[in-house]
Amino acid sequence: MKILAIDSSGAVASVAVIEDGIVTGEYSINNKLTHSQKLMPMIDQLLKSLDLKPCDIDVFGCAIGPGSFTGLRIGISIVKGMAQALDKPVVGIPTLDGLAWNLSGFLGYICPIIDARNDNVYTGIYSSEASESGISLKSEYKAIHIKELIETLPNDKPIAFVGDAVFKFKELLRENLGGLCFIPSTHLLLQKASSVGYACHLLASTGKLVSAYSLTPLYLRTSQAERMQGRILIF
Amino acid sequence: MYEIITKSENETRAIAEKLGSMLSAGDILCIFGNLGTGKTVFASGVSKGLGIAEHISSPTFTIVNEYMGKLPLYHFHAYRINSNEFLDIGGDEYIYGEGVTLIEWPENITDVLPPEKLEIHIDYDSEVIENRKISLNPLGHKYEKLTQNFLEEIK
Repeated sequence: MKILAIDSSGAVASVAVIEDGIVTGEYSINNKLTHSQKLMPMIDQLLKSLDLKPCDIDVFGCAIGPGSFTGLRIGISIVKGMAQALDKPVVGIPTLDGLAWNLSGFLGYICPIIDARNDNVYTGIYSSEASESGISLKSEYKAIHIKELIETLPNDKPIAFVGDAVFKFKELLRENLGGLCFIPSTHLLLQKASSVGYACHLLASTGKLVSAYSLTPLYLRTSQAERMQGRILIF
Repeated sequence: MYEIITKSENETRAIAEKLGSMLSAGDILCIFGNLGTGKTVFASGVSKGLGIAEHISSPTFTIVNEYMGKLPLYHFHAYRINSNEFLDIGGDEYIYGEGVTLIEWPENITDVLPPEKLEIHIDYDSEVIENRKISLNPLGHKYEKLTQNFLEEIK
């Protein structure tokens, strides 16, 4: 089974092809927010390099959010458009799951943090065990202030952080969590379509496919209370 | 809060043009003022200062207009939207983007705007009908410095 996966939820535009669980090609650009101009040519080149045609793809997968509203709409529109035209099923993967998959195998918690502005983050807490199932979500998907996240993190195992907000908050996390805080090297921190594609592969192989018509974005927003809290802490 | 009195539409446009020429990427201007006080006149001055040749019209119905000058200008009219609607259209991607964001009627979306910005209040002058009182309220160090430099320039 061949899966074409896209992640355009953040600064990185990324596309990948996964065939029977193996990444056969991946193309990522972290340059400017020009996803609407770059993604389709990237898909075209990737498929050509793999001697594939769009009709050879069995499943279309996409990171559905949280993240940049505009970026999500671009990625989801591409997947819906291609899957509808070719009459193929789709899989939607929460962006936070995709990021957590970047670190699967880490023995501890994995905590993706995506910058949601004004010191808020989109986040969730995963545990990763050395088992086939990989990662499992231990909390809800949340949009919260970084301080609130720090206060509510578990403290029984090391926590690895991933996501664009790591660049902004790594010092704060280290100060507050000490030895429990693990910051991976920068090449693992951002969205990768191969991670999304791998998560798609697991879902697709258990038959969890949906119609392109039912794919919807997962928009998360901070509550007004949190927005105001961010403000108070700054002043 | 700093106050400037302008005596004509052209003078308002001229000082706004000066301010526009001093802005940098990521700057946020919030313009408060009743109907007819000249918010859009101020905006057109800012756009000229940013080197935008195009005529600026009020984005009353489009909510946001984008222009390309020395820097991009994102001109918002937020009268008919609330914070969630602002986020729905990717508003935060504009205000944290690579251009200058100018927002008319920011009252309804203040909770999604960053705490640091330059607030500009335009009021009628109670004595002379053509005059406008322009009050600058810089929030944050960057905007305090910008305002000081700007006042020095237009002295």
